[in-house]
Amino acid sequence: MLRRELLGGFGGMALAQMLAAETHHAPKAKRVIQIFLSGAASQCDSFDYKPLLISKAGEKWDPGEKVELFQSNPGVVMPSPWNWKQYGQSGKWVSDLFPRTAECVDDIAFVHSMMTKSNVHGPATFMQNTGFILPGFPSAGAWLSYGLGSLNQNLPVFVVMPDPRGMPPNGAANWSGGFLPAAHQATTVKIGSAHPIQDLEMPVGGYVTEASEKDGLALLDRVNRRHLDGRGGDSRLEARIASYEMAARLQLSAPEVLGIEGESEATRKLYGMDQPLTADLGRRCLVARRLVERGVRFVQIWSGADNGFPRRNWDSHENLKKDHGMLAHELDQPMAALLKDLKGRGLLDDTIVYWTTEFGRMPCSQGSLGRDHNPLGFTSWFAGGGFKGGTSFGATDEWSYKAVDKPIYCYDVHATMLHLLGIDHTRLAYRNNGIDRRLTDVHGTVLRELMA
Amino acid sequence: MKWLFWVAVTGWAAETVSFERSVLPILIARCVACHPSGNGAGDVSLASFADLRELVVAGKPEESLLLRVVSGPLARMPKTGGPLKAAEIESIRGWIAAGAKNDSRGPGWWSLRPLTPGKHTSIDSYLLGKLREKGLGFSVEADRRTLIRRLSFDLTGLPPTPAEIAAFVGDAMPDAYERLVDRLLASPRYGERWARHWLDLVHYGDSHGYDKDKPRANSWPYRDAVVRALNEDLPYGEFVRRQLAGDVLYPGDARAFELTGFLAAGPWDFVGHQELREGTTDKNLTRVLDRDDMVATAVSTFSSMTAHCARCHDHKFDPIPQEDYYRLQAVFAGVDRADRPYDEDPAIGSRRRELLASKLALQKRMQPLLDRVEFATTPEIVVLDDRIQDAGSLLAHLGAPKDAAQQAEKQMLEARRLTDRAARQKLVDVVVGPETYLSIDQLKASMKLLDDQLAGLPAPRFVYSGASFFARVGNFRPALDPRVVRLLDRGNVNAPGKEVVPGALRAVPGLKSEFDNGDEGARRVALARWITDDNNVLTWRSIVNRVWQYHFGVGIVDSPSDFGRMGSQPTHPELLDWLAVWFRDEAKGSLKQLHRLMVMSQAYRQVSRHNEAAAKADTDNRLLWRMNRTRLDAEAVRDASLAVAGKLDLKMGGPGVRMFGFKDDHSPVYDYTKFDPDSEGGYRRSIYRFIVRSVPDPFMERLDCPDPSVLTPKRSTTLTAIQALAMWNNPFMLRMASHMAERVGSDVSLAGRLVLGRELDAAELALYREYAAKHGMANLSRLLLNTNEFLFVD
Repeated sequence: MLRRELLGGFGGMALAQMLAAETHHAPKAKRVIQIFLSGAASQCDSFDYKPLLISKAGEKWDPGEKVELFQSNPGVVMPSPWNWKQYGQSGKWVSDLFPRTAECVDDIAFVHSMMTKSNVHGPATFMQNTGFILPGFPSAGAWLSYGLGSLNQNLPVFVVMPDPRGMPPNGAANWSGGFLPAAHQATTVKIGSAHPIQDLEMPVGGYVTEASEKDGLALLDRVNRRHLDGRGGDSRLEARIASYEMAARLQLSAPEVLGIEGESEATRKLYGMDQPLTADLGRRCLVARRLVERGVRFVQIWSGADNGFPRRNWDSHENLKKDHGMLAHELDQPMAALLKDLKGRGLLDDTIVYWTTEFGRMPCSQGSLGRDHNPLGFTSWFAGGGFKGGTSFGATDEWSYKAVDKPIYCYDVHATMLHLLGIDHTRLAYRNNGIDRRLTDVHGTVLRELMA
Repeated sequence: MKWLFWVAVTGWAAETVSFERSVLPILIARCVACHPSGNGAGDVSLASFADLRELVVAGKPEESLLLRVVSGPLARMPKTGGPLKAAEIESIRGWIAAGAKNDSRGPGWWSLRPLTPGKHTSIDSYLLGKLREKGLGFSVEADRRTLIRRLSFDLTGLPPTPAEIAAFVGDAMPDAYERLVDRLLASPRYGERWARHWLDLVHYGDSHGYDKDKPRANSWPYRDAVVRALNEDLPYGEFVRRQLAGDVLYPGDARAFELTGFLAAGPWDFVGHQELREGTTDKNLTRVLDRDDMVATAVSTFSSMTAHCARCHDHKFDPIPQEDYYRLQAVFAGVDRADRPYDEDPAIGSRRRELLASKLALQKRMQPLLDRVEFATTPEIVVLDDRIQDAGSLLAHLGAPKDAAQQAEKQMLEARRLTDRAARQKLVDVVVGPETYLSIDQLKASMKLLDDQLAGLPAPRFVYSGASFFARVGNFRPALDPRVVRLLDRGNVNAPGKEVVPGALRAVPGLKSEFDNGDEGARRVALARWITDDNNVLTWRSIVNRVWQYHFGVGIVDSPSDFGRMGSQPTHPELLDWLAVWFRDEAKGSLKQLHRLMVMSQAYRQVSRHNEAAAKADTDNRLLWRMNRTRLDAEAVRDASLAVAGKLDLKMGGPGVRMFGFKDDHSPVYDYTKFDPDSEGGYRRSIYRFIVRSVPDPFMERLDCPDPSVLTPKRSTTLTAIQALAMWNNPFMLRMASHMAERVGSDVSLAGRLVLGRELDAAELALYREYAAKHGMANLSRLLLNTNEFLFVD
């Protein structure tokens, strides 16, 4: 039984937050870390190896049909500026863009046949997050919060760590709770900021003191309990009293989980925290591990901000080598460290690591050095949590242009992920404006081939 | 009368195959859309049970035309969506075999039936009727302090002042309550409060949303117009008509013009409209989805139906064929969201309209010629296009040069682009030819004359609204004439079907649902008239139910924007209809009279105290044996905090107050931590906040202020740790506590009166005084603002 059925009514939300709900079936995974590459990371420069791009380099690109691009007209066939090598037992081809992640290929299930319904960053980023190209829908993390609840009453269920350079396209609407009750909203954690969680800490420098805080919360509790007299039968009043107790616990547990002082030098080094370019993502990946370790359900890490200049995300229309190169360098080591660390701690068994982007990039050049958008074929990958490592699902054509073998949308990916988390995606629904809405809309097939 | 919605509210006939339960849903889902009354497809009408019986021979399924056309390997019907399932065919067969009887109990799906009020003439008698059936009655009337606090928050969104409470409590006149109601309804605060409800419904925002979430400079006149319309008690029918077509119906009326901001209230995809090229799949999709938002907003808001469910297929539950949905899209096919000029002075407005009409006529003549230039193409031009575009993107990528090499590169690219552009122009000139340019030049000269005259007029005001003609920006260009709307197979823009004419929902009885294929404005007027027709049963039920919900906490129908089969049923159908008719006919659409009627009721004035016995009979209090306790919503919390702190600034109207740090950029940065609560505008009421779609104010969000991209007929109320932290630690709350402390000095009693609206008892006084003595008044104020008693009404 899911929590929606468990609760009903408008009372008891604070209490509800504390309960981990039962699932539809036995779950393989308990939590998810999603790494979102904002701006559209190229599949044909990372994990979707196509020798034809090398052998036909510089030739006119002709996929045999009219190609409609976002900004430009198709240029010539453009090979990846990175070399390709085979890795692991599975012999997976990976480019030098992600050399360290490549070491983990035997733990990764690649999906090469992703497609999306918009060629525009905003709608496409919504789609990967919420299943819809329109704003106003709940993100996957909010759905998990709604469906599964918390594993740790002292921490939020759904945590987002944006790129410190700024918000991705659509801003915080990407991790909106949409029409779900506000309890399922994400908690944004700004790593590196003086106040990573807004309004969390006791205010300093004003009239609030340790003593006023302690006495004040005790007195507030007392008067709120007194207020209950003659107001029985309304669980909301008690829920609100409980919410202050939970807040106090969150104040204690959040600094502990965000603080990485207790981590060994070797761990920090593994995550690249000793190098300026990898320090930020190293820290965010390490915090992600600490969060899931303590029972946070869904952690979302953003690589890349909006699509502006100077380039600060993966939207490499102009100079792929320079911009993808820099962002991948920031991400590769921390991401690989996260996979290895989770595995070493036995956490990868029931934690899904989900790597995605809003769409792919074209196999032909845009201008001389860039690539335009490609909504017809791109790559996502999964590790852990019941996904079958060392496999590749689906394929694009010989150009890495169009998904031709088992083409899928995010619906199937979401359905599979929910399945591994113990949820039947067709039954995780919420009535909004006349429709029982789902993360998978009216679609979604569980991809059993991807499962171990 | 249409039988197709003859589904009784409760109970089923005990026959083997029930028409109502087993056959009717099949007909609704698969047949009736193509076979309305009159000229249905193949001259077959399914508009009444009598019509249906002509297709059926009772007791003889095999001789019945109905069964023959839908069964067998050569089934001719339904034409779309595949054959009926075997079980469905068996139901039809069984029903015919059993005599083809009509076991339906009601004369239609409840929301589409004619309005049929019961015999009572007051809210209380309807409610008591149902309560007595369960052996229940009303609870006692609440005390005066409770009543004034309830009424003040409900009607104005603000707490009563201690003086107002004292006056009301001490008012011995029998009409004290009534005068209080009238005073609050007359207050400008009323419009501010209730406009917020309306803005939730229409998902109003001050920025576009999506990627590159740019501020909208001119959305606020709509917000102000809603506040004003409510304060002036504009009759509801007028309120609706002006939002859909105020510009067409009342050309000289600036206030009516502002209300058309409704058309553009929702989000807008900047990149899709402005950057995508004409004719691409994504451009077409952008436009379809933009109109989809207009359709969903209009029909959900005014008609409480979910027409938007029929974009990809016929509505699965309600009698809304896909064609009806696209007819509604056709109503909005001429408009985009853009700033529109208007004037306070009707004479100037009239002159401006003439000039704009002349400009539009000229533009229509010129556009094909301009398109000839814009879309002129040869392989050589395409090559240059790519080079020019490449230079542009490389220049953007380069940014400001940091060294001599970059400087040189920049100059090279700029020079190259200049040369390429000149070369391109030459090639285009060859394709286009001199005659076209000559014509364009002549038309442009005429246009300039008009522009000069427009420039001579006093500067207009602007409202962000639905526009068919505006200055092109990038690839965002006006429709000029309504765009052709085609039925899209499965909602796919690459699978267009037949062209549709504008219209509305054919399921609403007694109204012409097909409109003239007229000009843009006429289409909106037709929809406005259709919605506000006295006989449109949805409209009148919808609004009285919404008002009821805001007063009582739960609607008579608890799905206020869905009166279809997937929505809730009314708990008090006769009351709902009585209210609808009373509101339409007696109150002439006066919302203030409707409020008055509801808050004057005994039901509204009850205590909200729990009663174990009554709760056993009616757990959710749907019969209203007590009043519902409500938590203040985000705006009320913020406004009440300002009020008790003595800081509330009652200035009305104007551009949204930007309660965030703003940095314009590719995607602008909205940072709420950068706003000091004491800065300019920080004390204004929450309705005047600048509402950002991509990054909502976290403080408000934590108090359940909805995502401004979602149509919100009813807010959720949650109580979370993160909300408690916001109330306890947010700088705004801390600052208000501090201001309140300055205001009350050492007077703990006054603090209690301000925040709780009552005298503290001796025990409380002792506790609070002790705490204040130890930690100061600011800390006590902070505590009081965090009490349940402050956060809840009652």
